Amino acid sequence: MQPKLKKSLIYWAMLSPLVVVILFPFAVMFVTAVRPRDELFVYPPRWGFSEFRWGNFAEMWVKTNFGEALFNSLYVSVLSTALALVLSIPAAYALSRYRFPGKGAYRTFLLMTQMMSPIVLVLGLFRLMVALGMVNNLNSLVLTYAAFNMAFTIWMLQSYFSTIPRDLEEAAWIDGASHFTSLVRIFLPLAVPAMAVTAIFSFINGWNEFVLALTMIRSSDDFTLPVQIYSQVAGRYQVEWHHVMAGTVLATVPVAIVFSWLQKYLIRGMALGAVK
Amino acid sequence: MASVKIRNVEKSFGALKVIHGVNIDVEDHEFVVLVGPSGCGKSTLLRMIAGLETISGGEIVIGDKVVNNVPPRDRDIAMVFQNYALYPHMSIFDNMGFSLKLRKRPKPEIEAKVMEAADILNLQPYLDRSPAQLSGGQRQRVAMGRALVRDAQVFLFDEPLSNLDAKLRVVMRTEIKALHQRLKTTSVYVTHDQIEAMTMADRIVVMNAGRVEQIGAPLELYDSPANLFVAGFLGSPSMNFIKGRFRREGDQAHLLCDDGTALPVPAASTAWNDKTVVLGVRPEHLNLAADGQGIAATVDVVEPTGANIEVFVELAGERVCAVFSERHPFRPGEKIALGWDIDKVHLFDAATGRRI
Amino acid sequence: MKSLNGFKPLAMIVPGLLLAMFIIGYPVLDLANTSLQEVSRFGQLRGFTGLDNFAEVFADPLFWDSLERTVIWTVTVVLGTLAISLPIAIILNDDFYGRGLARVIIMLPWAISLTMTAVVWRWALNGRAGLLNATLMDMGLMAEPIEWLAEAQLAFTVEILIGILVSIPFTTTIFLGGLSSLPQDSYEASMVDGATRWDQFRHITLPLMKPFINIAIVLNVIYVFNSLPIIWVMTEGGPANGTDILVTYLYKLAFRFGQLGKASAISLIMFGVLLLFTIIYVALVTRGEKDSAAKGDA
Repeated sequence: MQPKLKKSLIYWAMLSPLVVVILFPFAVMFVTAVRPRDELFVYPPRWGFSEFRWGNFAEMWVKTNFGEALFNSLYVSVLSTALALVLSIPAAYALSRYRFPGKGAYRTFLLMTQMMSPIVLVLGLFRLMVALGMVNNLNSLVLTYAAFNMAFTIWMLQSYFSTIPRDLEEAAWIDGASHFTSLVRIFLPLAVPAMAVTAIFSFINGWNEFVLALTMIRSSDDFTLPVQIYSQVAGRYQVEWHHVMAGTVLATVPVAIVFSWLQKYLIRGMALGAVK
Repeated sequence: MASVKIRNVEKSFGALKVIHGVNIDVEDHEFVVLVGPSGCGKSTLLRMIAGLETISGGEIVIGDKVVNNVPPRDRDIAMVFQNYALYPHMSIFDNMGFSLKLRKRPKPEIEAKVMEAADILNLQPYLDRSPAQLSGGQRQRVAMGRALVRDAQVFLFDEPLSNLDAKLRVVMRTEIKALHQRLKTTSVYVTHDQIEAMTMADRIVVMNAGRVEQIGAPLELYDSPANLFVAGFLGSPSMNFIKGRFRREGDQAHLLCDDGTALPVPAASTAWNDKTVVLGVRPEHLNLAADGQGIAATVDVVEPTGANIEVFVELAGERVCAVFSERHPFRPGEKIALGWDIDKVHLFDAATGRRI
Repeated sequence: MKSLNGFKPLAMIVPGLLLAMFIIGYPVLDLANTSLQEVSRFGQLRGFTGLDNFAEVFADPLFWDSLERTVIWTVTVVLGTLAISLPIAIILNDDFYGRGLARVIIMLPWAISLTMTAVVWRWALNGRAGLLNATLMDMGLMAEPIEWLAEAQLAFTVEILIGILVSIPFTTTIFLGGLSSLPQDSYEASMVDGATRWDQFRHITLPLMKPFINIAIVLNVIYVFNSLPIIWVMTEGGPANGTDILVTYLYKLAFRFGQLGKASAISLIMFGVLLLFTIIYVALVTRGEKDSAAKGDA
């Protein structure tokens, strides 16, 4: 047998338990989502079911107010990402291009806020939003997500910006460009991929956030997807599991696909700056 | 085209002073090479001429205008960067035409200028490609082309050949020199390679530790270096230095080495008697002495380069290199006798390094 | 131009800095203030009581139980994650058929929010009809379905295992970054010197990976220590507070029981712990940067 083939078989055998455990919840999700309601609780429990009920998805959409939660999640994720990027891009540019007093302290501050988790501050954040009159307002999430994400986006952006050679901009200045022109014509076009990748990760962070959304949003009209799905499960006597699973499929699969496609950029970004 | 005057220019990064009051006059049409070891401040100085570094003290004049506070785009200079700095998202044509486009020149003019530069540099077949598709040598040419289309007053070169392989470097060296002879644009060229400096420059500025050591025509510096640093920096293999005490008696002078050997040296003033001085002898100025004469030396290593043989010998307790164009069949351990023409060797003050 | 160079970068940094300081700084100060006061369950501050809230926290057996469980939770999840992730990263760093697919699968749990993962597992572990029971019964490993989440000890164990599962992708990513930076020629040299693969792992990989392992430990400790969704969604700290860790207990105190003074005190204690770990992390990162800067100079 070819050595590489043999090695591949051994590796896959070693990975297989983990692969099974990782894929197991996905299987559970799909199999439950398309199952007829009266086959949810059968004894003994079994994987098989009589027919694919694609209608579960449409039913779930209406009954659980999925559309509204989807919109809320999009609203919060898009706006918080936009806010974080608008504030991060200049900061990351300054970090990668200029020396300035307090730069070291600023980098330390970034590293520390990157580690700061909302859960520890959740009570204080809630009181802050009460004081601002922003409880039950999606914009409270926009602000907090942006603030907590910024350390990550600045870090990620500056590690990419630093790979764009400075002498390209210098060459443009000598060619007759102003700072602004060189930024627009030379730097930004080269930085677009980095900004797109960073934006997508920031978006996913907002999309997946749970604790703050659970705390700040009290009325079900303003629930984001994770809270909406959680509310279908928590404290209910009768849980419509086929709807819950249909909801998780719709909420997670698109994000999982985008993430899988982009994960190599995250690895590269971390290798460039965040971890090394 | 214009001259460049550098007057008492200083540069500090915070408390660290990296350039200490440098004065250089570059004449109109002249090709001046700034050379020195890495960290000597030559690139910083060039970037100050370009306007990419602020000037901490003194002034820089291009033409008859003090440019200290003029941004790079208004200095009318062109620069070739060490890593070429080609815009990766533009075609070769757009790279070369970018400066004209920024100056809002009409399209036909841009096209004509780019074609002309591409013609000179043999780049016509590549104008539609992107920089990533070119080889190192071709990218280097594009960087040159970008400077050429400008009709700038001054060309600045920041170690433009250091990323090329040895063979290509020699070719490009000749090309840049030919180009300058044709266009006569005032040029300031930074390199750490003393051969580049020797072969290309009208005048060389040797820098060390943020100061100018000597300015002059290449052969002038080679034949009469002002100090130990310049003597040791220019020339390959580099000059041999032998330390000893100076002694002049009548018209004859010699150097008394630690191991007791007396070496013939030029007759400097008797004021130097008993002072420690350094004798400098270029390897090609050592020759085989006739039987019974010369200074005893023991052959250590023999390195044929093809054109020459380089022989490392032990002479007066020092390791000394001699270059011969004849193919002497020396063997390691062999005793030979060497001598030199007294007019061709140099004496330096050991304390200050200055030439005597 | 000189003066510009001083102010321009600051002007670029300040807007973001202000937002971060406001959103992160204000709550810290507010919590510090609240923790020293008597607070009504509706959040009114009723005057300073000194360290009473802290005293109350330390006198609370549930706090100590949660703290103990937090330590168990953090230590087991982090160690389990490291033990699994390092070999996985070494495999994924090697060239084999289907490596791209394997990488995507291993990274999948990272893409999905912890909430969703926990919801799906809560269903999969359902004591009556859960598909884990179905699988194990189909395989003949057990005859009766098990109530996985009904009993605290078992529920907590299951939660730890899921905690490990979701931490693997991130940790593997750090290790992959580290492995790809290892000098290939060291391995070639050691092969010439006659080293076996185990020797290489023991004497080259492990020592060179040490900075990455350190970072992975600290980051994972921080994340796991703060992780609420898995336990919250699966058991809400129950049954009978039997799976409560500090974050879930804190959340209950603040938003269920309205004991805001006590909750603020716990928040501050946790903030202190987090700060400590963060300082360790920052020290590790800056040391790493200094090392690589020194290497760059040489």
